[in-house]
Amino acid sequence: MSKDHTKKEMTKKAVKTSKPISQWGIAWKRFKKNKAALAGLFIEGIILFMAIFGPFIAPYPPNDISAFMEGRTREAPSWDHLMGTDYTGHDVFSQIIYGAAPALQVGVGAAVFSMVIAVLVGSIAGYYGGKIDTILMRFSEVFLVMPAFLFLIVLLKVAMTITVAGFGLGLTILVLGILGWAGDSRAIRAEFLKLKEYEFVTAAKCLGASNRRIIFKHILPNVLHLIIVLITSSIAINVILEAGLSFLGFSDPNIITWGRMIAYSLEAIRGAWWQGVFPGLAIVVTVLGFNILGDGLRDALDPRLRE
Amino acid sequence: MKELPKNVVLEVEHLKKLFPVFEKGILFSHQTGSIHACDNVSFKVEKGKTLGLVGESGSGKTTLAKTILYLFHPTSGQVFFEGIDVFKTFRSKNKQDILSLRRKMQYIFQDPYSSLNPRMTVADIIMEPYQIHRHIPKKEWPIRMYELLRLVGLEDYHSERYPHEFSGGQRQRVCIARALAVEPEFLIADEPVSSLDVSIRAQILNLLGDLQSKFNLTYIYISHDLSTVRHICDEVAVMYLGRIVELAEVNELFESPRHPYTKALISAVPTSKPGQKSNRIILPGEVPSPINPPLYCRFYPRCKYHIPICKKKDPKLEEILNKHYVSCFRGKEKLD
Ligand SMILES: Nc1ncnc2c1ncn2[C@@H]1O[C@H](COP(=O)(O)OP(=O)(O)O)[C@@H](O)[C@H]1O
Ligand SMILES: [Mg+2]
Repeated sequence: MSKDHTKKEMTKKAVKTSKPISQWGIAWKRFKKNKAALAGLFIEGIILFMAIFGPFIAPYPPNDISAFMEGRTREAPSWDHLMGTDYTGHDVFSQIIYGAAPALQVGVGAAVFSMVIAVLVGSIAGYYGGKIDTILMRFSEVFLVMPAFLFLIVLLKVAMTITVAGFGLGLTILVLGILGWAGDSRAIRAEFLKLKEYEFVTAAKCLGASNRRIIFKHILPNVLHLIIVLITSSIAINVILEAGLSFLGFSDPNIITWGRMIAYSLEAIRGAWWQGVFPGLAIVVTVLGFNILGDGLRDALDPRLRE
Repeated sequence: MKELPKNVVLEVEHLKKLFPVFEKGILFSHQTGSIHACDNVSFKVEKGKTLGLVGESGSGKTTLAKTILYLFHPTSGQVFFEGIDVFKTFRSKNKQDILSLRRKMQYIFQDPYSSLNPRMTVADIIMEPYQIHRHIPKKEWPIRMYELLRLVGLEDYHSERYPHEFSGGQRQRVCIARALAVEPEFLIADEPVSSLDVSIRAQILNLLGDLQSKFNLTYIYISHDLSTVRHICDEVAVMYLGRIVELAEVNELFESPRHPYTKALISAVPTSKPGQKSNRIILPGEVPSPINPPLYCRFYPRCKYHIPICKKKDPKLEEILNKHYVSCFRGKEKLD
């Protein structure tokens, strides 16, 4: 009997000393086991590193055309120029590094901005329901069916003609964000519709919690996993859109972007493949990285898999 | 304010809750009827007493409880708590009045798994009522939280854990602690043990009993397990299809049930006395649909004692003996 008792005591102690595990802890454990997701995280880690430390790691300054002076334009990749030079003598490798920052800034900025709108619209529509819901969802449908890219081009063209100097990245972020929230807001609304019927929400109401408290403290934390997944794929989409826009010339000419680099490579009379292929690869790898990262997060955070 | 009879804390008058039933049309869905989940229910509960609410699943017990607490919007009827018109207060949108009423009445959910937010620690869950009501100074919050944890039989280290790390019984203890954090006077426990292991049901029920005597709480205890009801309650109301069909003091109800439905329910309770023959009454047929129920006695299709009037009129809940109410045309007879 005493043996039994000590055993009981021991298990109790074991439970006591083990650390509490949050849902996020469980998700991270699951994420760590996923090789593809880790690869995605690694890729984006490198891109982020390039974006932050670009000026320190790039072998040549942004506007360096010393190769031009030396008559080494459109030179194939070599030890001096790992990815070759373009037709005005820029080092392609350095330019790729400088292009990471604007790609991430626009991708993340637009994704976060559109998510803020999506969360506001989706949570209010889903939580309050009724007329507010109907109105907000009709409104989001307008944004869904609108030919967004066309709209974007027109807007940016107007902006480019009225601003004399470069207009930076802010406008692109703003416009992509405004055009991108509708689909996500509907996904968040659906989650709110489901969660507001849960008993823990009723329990909060019974305790006297305000609607604001219920939305932000009870429902939103349970939607956070979805928001993270949506943001990740939204970043991927916005990186492509930004590349497309700058490829078409609708971006600040003073900022080096991967899309612009591809466009310049086409302008060169005799194509030098490295001039277009490397920025193309940079875009593909970045987008792919966010997509597999998003998939990994989706699996890791899936509430159906909770223990 | 309403003057309630001495000792009465809760009075429910003609409470009705209908849920609309929709049918999908070609373009629009239109309402085809209503679920009469809770239909013209009246009763009183005295201070410090426990009213049992029994009935099969789907009879409207949860709906009744949630409507009393304004977690469902009532279709009609009134509820008075200590003389305060509950629905009027909630509709008034006066934040102070609403909060003070919320503090008085609390609810324990049937399912302790879904009634705790999976993203909050136990400490956050129990201290949330303090954030909402601010009835105690902030520096005392953790002290009070630990007191509550111990009071419901948990330990200090449980506070930083998440709901998924607990068993059903422990979760129900957390739910009880959360409800107690507002220092309520009245608690509705909606089948608090029915989703728990049989082995720990008694512990939770004992805990509820201890808390009642410690804080002089008034309870409505909802259950479909009549043996625990007999143990715990002072008065029992039997529900059938959204109606109270019989209401009496507990011993009176168990010893001389008058409604045929109550008789059937009681006959189904296993007796512990050896040698006693079980004469279980098997009800014919199924529980009818609560959607658009008949205008005559709702128990008629399953009743073997019915007389012609039962299919013509709807019986009212009448006091046939002192504090013994029955809704049956033959309630005054001793049917066997
Ligand atoms: N939110 C709801 N919407 C529609 N119908 C409901 C809802 N809640 C309960 N009902 C219906 O009301 C009736 C009573 O249910 P309930 O109160 O849960 O009974 P009990 O708690 O006695 O099992 C059932 O027919 C049920 O289907
Ligand atoms: Mg129920």
